[in-house]
Amino acid sequence: MGRLAVQNSLSRVLPLRTAVSSSAGLASAAINFLAAVEVAEYAGGQSAWLAILVAGVLIVFAGANFSELNGLFPSAAAIRVWIRRGVNDQFSLASSFVYMLTVVFVIAADAFVLGHTFSRAVPTIPALLWIVALLGLVTWSNSRGIKVAGIIQDSNAFVLLGTLMVFSVLVIVAAPHLGQFHYFSLGHNWFEAVALGIFIFVGFEWVTPLAEEFQDFRAIPQGMFIALGLIAIAFGLFSLALTVAFPDAGVLAHSFVPQLLVGLKALGPLGFWWMVFVTLTTAMTTFNGGLLSASRFVYALARERALPAWFSRLNKRLVPQNALMALAITSLVLAVLVYWSGQYLFLINAGAGVESLMYALSSVLVMSLRRREPQRRRPFHVIGYPVVPGIVGLLFLGLGIEALLTPTGPSGFPWGMVFFLAIIVAVSIYIRWMLPKVRQKRASRLA
Amino acid sequence: MTLMQALSQFCNECNSNARLREMNRDWNRRVLLNPDNVDSPHYLISENGEVSAGQGSVDNPDLVIEASDTILTSVFSGRMTPTEPYNAGDLLVRGHQDDIMRLDILTLLIWGD
Repeated sequence: MGRLAVQNSLSRVLPLRTAVSSSAGLASAAINFLAAVEVAEYAGGQSAWLAILVAGVLIVFAGANFSELNGLFPSAAAIRVWIRRGVNDQFSLASSFVYMLTVVFVIAADAFVLGHTFSRAVPTIPALLWIVALLGLVTWSNSRGIKVAGIIQDSNAFVLLGTLMVFSVLVIVAAPHLGQFHYFSLGHNWFEAVALGIFIFVGFEWVTPLAEEFQDFRAIPQGMFIALGLIAIAFGLFSLALTVAFPDAGVLAHSFVPQLLVGLKALGPLGFWWMVFVTLTTAMTTFNGGLLSASRFVYALARERALPAWFSRLNKRLVPQNALMALAITSLVLAVLVYWSGQYLFLINAGAGVESLMYALSSVLVMSLRRREPQRRRPFHVIGYPVVPGIVGLLFLGLGIEALLTPTGPSGFPWGMVFFLAIIVAVSIYIRWMLPKVRQKRASRLA
Repeated sequence: MTLMQALSQFCNECNSNARLREMNRDWNRRVLLNPDNVDSPHYLISENGEVSAGQGSVDNPDLVIEASDTILTSVFSGRMTPTEPYNAGDLLVRGHQDDIMRLDILTLLIWGD
């Protein structure tokens, strides 16, 4: 019975530190540097830190939703299970596909930042070569079953956030005329700034699939909340440093490497090269964590016959090779296209939009599952049910639509929304017309 | 078929397959199977490539699997992949994700997809 599982202590469990570092690490992508610049553009300057802080506070409520759902069904399948139980199987599949694709967006976006960082640091080697080589290296190590040691994965998040805090404070303290800025001035596009600020926290909840590895259910909520605080402080300070050191946000956006400029301002060449190193480790961690978790997710979908069996094929090292290669190639193609076109903003806007809609959905799931499965054990309860999750859901719905409708260039066209709708249409076509054939084919083969 | 019969069959499949024995050689784990509808725990132990099963509990397991005894029996007799009830929230596991995936791979290699 269920109580036996509680009595039997697991032989190996993860500590709270890993919950914090996983949550912060998964949210800490190199593209966040450019997202901070975009937030500053929309916030109208020095109040960007406030937009990021407000986004962080709002996400705490989404974190509470995820905590309740995670306690209810502590499973690596996470959203696949929650949406299936809270809504239905088809909607769960569609959402899972879209959610998984955000991992590919983030990998492509990080490759873009990594390419620009290295082309600035080592101009003699073409940036695309760096992208192909580093993405290829991570794919190869994944396919060989080589795991990045937990300590490295853990350290990376803390090194990044610590560096941002220290460097940003150094830049802020050294900036002249600090008194002339308007730190609380809300521009006309401040709501958009908050909507895009969501992107900086994207992925904090991807620690929930690790729930099965923690003995204490409180570790996941605590880890998420601590990580959100650290991210808000680090990127809030970073945006403040950017906006006081470089009041013209347009200059930063066109540099593509704002983190290197902050590094240079903080500690000169040493700061510059340290930021190159931090960008490299951050992007590599994103590649590694993204490909590892997404390939297993694809494998699991193939095992439950939601994708062709081809995706569940294992290599001799028991790695889902086809799933891994398909994701790596998709990420690489998208990364190259984004690099060539220089159009990275639609990835940020689409990512912020998808995540905000997912946070809105988390409120719906909390309410739906309270009705559908009232007797099931809930180690964590959201506060102020049903009013607070209801308001949080509506707020994130609005922020998600706003992020998707935010223009991505001088044309003023919301390419983020177009990209999002294209994915929804593709996923819907697959689920409506192709999936029944996949299932029928496999059923007839098994019969 | 009872859960114990399914587990015995699963052990036989693992132990009679040279590839699986080789694969499990360095995978020493204790798995507790906890039916959530009857008070009848079972266990699987993988040690030096040999897999054995029994009725009752086991101390300090590496994996704890909870589901109805019908689902557990279906999974370990090959009538259902573990991922199907897992992704539906009808089968919950606690333990390291690599071990969870290893169990799924064992069923894949024994019964195919």
